[in-house]
Amino acid sequence: MDILFKILIDPFLQMGSAPDLLVQTIWEGFVTGVLYALIALGFVLIFKASGVFNFAQGIMVVFAGLTLVGLYEMGLPAPIALIVTLLVMYVLAVTIERVVLRPLVNQPDIILFMATFGITYFLIGLGEFIFGGNPKQMISEQLYLPKGSLEFKMLGGFVQLQKIDIAAAVIAMIMIIALALFFQYTRIGRALRAVADSHKAALSVGISLNQIWVIVWFAAGIVALVTGIMWGARSDVSFGLQVIALKALPVLILGGFTSVPGAIIGGLIIGIGEKLGEFYWGPLVGGGIESWLAYCIALFFLLFRPQGLFGDKIIERI
Amino acid sequence: MMQTYHQIARGDTLLAVDHVSLSFGGVKAITDVSFDIRKGEIRAIIGPNGAGKTSMLNVINGFYHPQKGQITFKGLTRSRMRPSVAASQGIARTFQNVALFKGMSTLDNIMAGRTLKMHRNFFWQCLRHGPAMDEEIKHREFVEDIIDFLEIQAIRKVPVGKLPYGLQKRVELGRALAMEPDLLLLDEPMAGMNLEEKEDMSRFIVDVNQQYGTTIALIEHDMGVVMDLSDRVVVLEYGHKLADGTPDDVKANEDVIKAYLGVAH
Repeated sequence: MDILFKILIDPFLQMGSAPDLLVQTIWEGFVTGVLYALIALGFVLIFKASGVFNFAQGIMVVFAGLTLVGLYEMGLPAPIALIVTLLVMYVLAVTIERVVLRPLVNQPDIILFMATFGITYFLIGLGEFIFGGNPKQMISEQLYLPKGSLEFKMLGGFVQLQKIDIAAAVIAMIMIIALALFFQYTRIGRALRAVADSHKAALSVGISLNQIWVIVWFAAGIVALVTGIMWGARSDVSFGLQVIALKALPVLILGGFTSVPGAIIGGLIIGIGEKLGEFYWGPLVGGGIESWLAYCIALFFLLFRPQGLFGDKIIERI
Repeated sequence: MMQTYHQIARGDTLLAVDHVSLSFGGVKAITDVSFDIRKGEIRAIIGPNGAGKTSMLNVINGFYHPQKGQITFKGLTRSRMRPSVAASQGIARTFQNVALFKGMSTLDNIMAGRTLKMHRNFFWQCLRHGPAMDEEIKHREFVEDIIDFLEIQAIRKVPVGKLPYGLQKRVELGRALAMEPDLLLLDEPMAGMNLEEKEDMSRFIVDVNQQYGTTIALIEHDMGVVMDLSDRVVVLEYGHKLADGTPDDVKANEDVIKAYLGVAH
């Protein structure tokens, strides 16, 4: 009886007795969720356009962040370093299209998936070779990102919001809206959706697959750069960061591999769910459930809705 | 020198396939095939299953690159080309197993066929204003004409994945027409259709050919349809050319009769 009380009732009593803490926990979860959503967005872009699950998205985040900081350390002013990093991500997209995707056209998806492992290890090596393996501090001040925190008195206590977190949320939202509009309303956006549906039909109406792939990989690169800056500003930019790419998996399973809104809502559910779980239910098992709770939620979803909340239902005629 | 479609007189050669051979590893799909397509005609490619008909279309629109031989289209000779380049030169096609953008509406599918005709840059597109908007409206009008022509007004906004097969084939034809092609390649446009649908499709093909003057090359198994529609027929078997001529010539050709009907020994 006691254990049931601790699982089912006590956490909610705690939430009720200290609403300011609840708000604080939800906010922390929200910010983590936004960053998960950003990573998942990078995956969705590439998955939609080429059907490839891009394992390298995590390392692209690290690589973009390292390049930015590395260039700054070499003496470039921060804004110029940012622009040069964008150029580097573009060159990376073109190179991947030329060297990896083009020779593998029409190969089974699993081959392309394995190729993204290759890209991952190549980028790890390249990054360590150029910038060294030590963690670097993100140049958030030089990029005019706000520091410090805001405190609100509310609900009989106070809630503390880091300004960098607010900036991250706002920037992520602007980027997501921009991407959504781009997909929905431009000729290139229509071409991207067309490629997602059928490669050969897209080719037959004169859409160049190569051009589209460069565009999506570049877009994923931009998303990676923004993720790298925001995540790096909260901790460090280090190669350890690439494992957050694995967190994108439960997000995608939840939201659906092909849905941009799915990536966002999935990210938020996982982020907030993790923090709430850790804070209110974690103590029951001695804490540390944050690192695996997301995968359990994903597993649960797979049982009941394998296509995710917003994914395309796969129906095959026999 | 590349000529435009209008500089080529009706009845002159629009596309020439010259000694083309194509193989996949040890499998010979096409062996030394030559034929031509004249401007304004309906040209049928027939043959038993596995004769290399679809491979031939894939060579013409650049999906496959032949090991030997070359293709001359509008006076421009090439041995390899990319599908997107073929499309920009005026070759449109449909597929044996319908290849549509299933998640998009009928309208969006046909608009996708206008991709190459839209030029306004990215900046204007993002604003959805000014020149880009005018352009979108202009193309939308063109697409609406096609929709009227194919009598698919009622399914304008329906995602094509939900449509019955016969209508999907019609939408696919619409998308190809939206490209305003000089040469339209149809791969089994009537496969899997009932009699009524076949009659509709035949009518659309003849109308496209006569109203817009579009040159058409089609693969079809229904011999009644082929003989009625086409001006000239080329027959393939096991990757070789068996016969080439008017429907009456081909019908009388002994090799063709043997390949199709078998001969009593």
